[in-house]
Amino acid sequence: MIQPFTSDPLQWVAEDGRPIRELPARFTPGVLRDLYREMVRAREFDKKLVTLLRQGRTTFYAQASGMEATQVGLARSIRAGHDWVWPYYRDHALALALGVPMLDLVSQCLGTNSDLCRGRQMPHHFGAARQNLVSISSSIASQVPPAAGNAMAQKYLGVDEITVCTFGDGATSEGDWHAGMNMAGAAQAPCLFVCENNQWAISTNLRAQTASENIHIKAKAYGMPGYYVDGNDIVAVIEVLSQVAEQVRAGNGPALVECLTYRIGSHSNADADAEKNYRTREEVNAWLARDPIVRVERLLDHLGAPVSAEERADLISAAHREVDEAVLKAEASGQPDWRIMFEDVYADLPVHLREQAAFLRAEQEGVQA
Amino acid sequence: MTATQSKPAASGSAGETRTLTLIQAITEAMQEELARDERVVVFGEDVGARGGVFLATAGLQEQFGQKRVFDTPLSEASIVGAAVGMAVRGLRPIAEIQFADYMGPGFDQIISQAAKIRYRSGGQFSAPLVIRTPSGGGVKGGHHHSQSPESYFTHTPGLKVVMPSTPYDAKGLLKAAVRGGDPVIYFEPKRLYRAVKGQVPTHDYTVELGKGAVRREGTDLTIIGYGGVMPDAEKAAQALAAEGVQAEVIDLRSLVPWDRDLVLTSVAKTGRAVLVSEAPRTSNFMGEVAYVIQEHLFDQLLAPVMQVAGFDTPYPYVQDKVYLPGANRIAAACVRALNY
Repeated sequence: MIQPFTSDPLQWVAEDGRPIRELPARFTPGVLRDLYREMVRAREFDKKLVTLLRQGRTTFYAQASGMEATQVGLARSIRAGHDWVWPYYRDHALALALGVPMLDLVSQCLGTNSDLCRGRQMPHHFGAARQNLVSISSSIASQVPPAAGNAMAQKYLGVDEITVCTFGDGATSEGDWHAGMNMAGAAQAPCLFVCENNQWAISTNLRAQTASENIHIKAKAYGMPGYYVDGNDIVAVIEVLSQVAEQVRAGNGPALVECLTYRIGSHSNADADAEKNYRTREEVNAWLARDPIVRVERLLDHLGAPVSAEERADLISAAHREVDEAVLKAEASGQPDWRIMFEDVYADLPVHLREQAAFLRAEQEGVQA
Repeated sequence: MTATQSKPAASGSAGETRTLTLIQAITEAMQEELARDERVVVFGEDVGARGGVFLATAGLQEQFGQKRVFDTPLSEASIVGAAVGMAVRGLRPIAEIQFADYMGPGFDQIISQAAKIRYRSGGQFSAPLVIRTPSGGGVKGGHHHSQSPESYFTHTPGLKVVMPSTPYDAKGLLKAAVRGGDPVIYFEPKRLYRAVKGQVPTHDYTVELGKGAVRREGTDLTIIGYGGVMPDAEKAAQALAAEGVQAEVIDLRSLVPWDRDLVLTSVAKTGRAVLVSEAPRTSNFMGEVAYVIQEHLFDQLLAPVMQVAGFDTPYPYVQDKVYLPGANRIAAACVRALNY
């Protein structure tokens, strides 16, 4: 069994790509290559979306570059489309790896008719029922108590599912985080809490966020195990998360896993000059040297199955083509019109909304209400 | 039977009734919904063995077990938030917030999660849940056990807001809320819990959300209220009747949506409206009712719309009864409208 409450993050692969402990047999070069492809796809999605942002075709984006091992690793540790996920707003690598089509993510960022969420939220706040990926809220940590409730319902229904709830380090300061952790613990609900500790909540560093030594030890207060993982080591992430997920699935109650990683880019387009304002270039460079994608490349090198420059270039251009095609298809679907504003407020359309919709129809179409 | 199936509603013989208090009607509604649908669960602080501080859930855990009726940690954020997650995953949660005054810690869960999830997901996810909570004054509770925070919630699209004043409505509205597709904030006027009795059918029935009720017919003015003020509104109408004035009395029952047709038809007939609630006056939900009346009936009004409300102070302990708009204050507003 994997040890909870370790003082250092659990690691399987060193930064130079050498396994520190015996590499589990399931991590064949073929499997590692698939993980590598998924991580590169997410990285390139990030780059393309930043370009769309600069072109003014979307208005908000929260990069996940640097966090691919944590998110892709999480997706590979649970039963995609079977387990439920209450994510936070930086989880597109997780969504892609869970099987949410690129078109769905791009459509949500562009607010087109092809957007499953119908243009109701700011970009990068997606949700996809087919993958049991619950629609993201901007309100920090507000997904934590509902995730506990989702897991309580799973326990009540006696289904073989778990709930995954992700959040950043900043979310652990919110009251809702503590409320949800406590509720899940008291109810022994099958909830896997995953802290994607990228060390910065916009411009507030973890050291200003909490006096706690780290995040995972907080699990102790809620009666659940807390695990500490190198979030840039995808082997470690999958080893720990998949074992912990099965413990949770087996009815042993909730667990918290802290994945120590780093957000290479800015929080969003709102703080594009992060290095000028609140963190140093040296710090970013130090974490660039720990790039989770490069670590898999080095591991494959070590295993004698290196990724060639040509293969890498092909992967990158395939990802770019995939985003470009999704953008064209999404834009071709057009933008929702005024009608969608009044739908889905309630299960039905109450009289006051019917009247307001009639008013807007008259204004928009020049017809009499 | 699996936990996701529901049975046909329990029903007695049509036409049979018996007398219940308002809180008994609420308990019965939950009992019948728990029996009807295994997706229904009831939870909150002290709702299990204790049966809730007002005993609204008394006996339910004994009857349905700890899996269906259970105590939670003392945390409104987690009670409301868990209800959202349960509803999204397919249950029909009825959550109790011990006093409406304590909805603060659960407020973000109500307005950011419960109210928004259907809209923000494009209808992919929804949270049909009920939050029951005792509200209003008159029980010497001071300002943390007496407030009327309904206006905060009427201001948030995506929520339905209900407040009964009779046992019949309390049961029928709660059952409708449990069976509906939306999050419902169900305020219970706690001073009426045992002060009001009424006839309640033995057969299964619901009261549609969004429909008001005419409590007394009249031609000279319309008194409009909801929740705890209704007995005083009716008393005021009786006092006016003794003076030869026929007041029509309307109980809104639901604030979102509210029955504009009923109100406008009545005020068009009487020409005068007196709006009564015990919530503080500023940004009181009745301001919306007044606005709609003047928008539609401006040239038919014989007097300005009068408002009788609580004062814009925190709820006072010692002056508990003075704060509330009693029958005299309501009748005085009616006289002002009649003499305008």
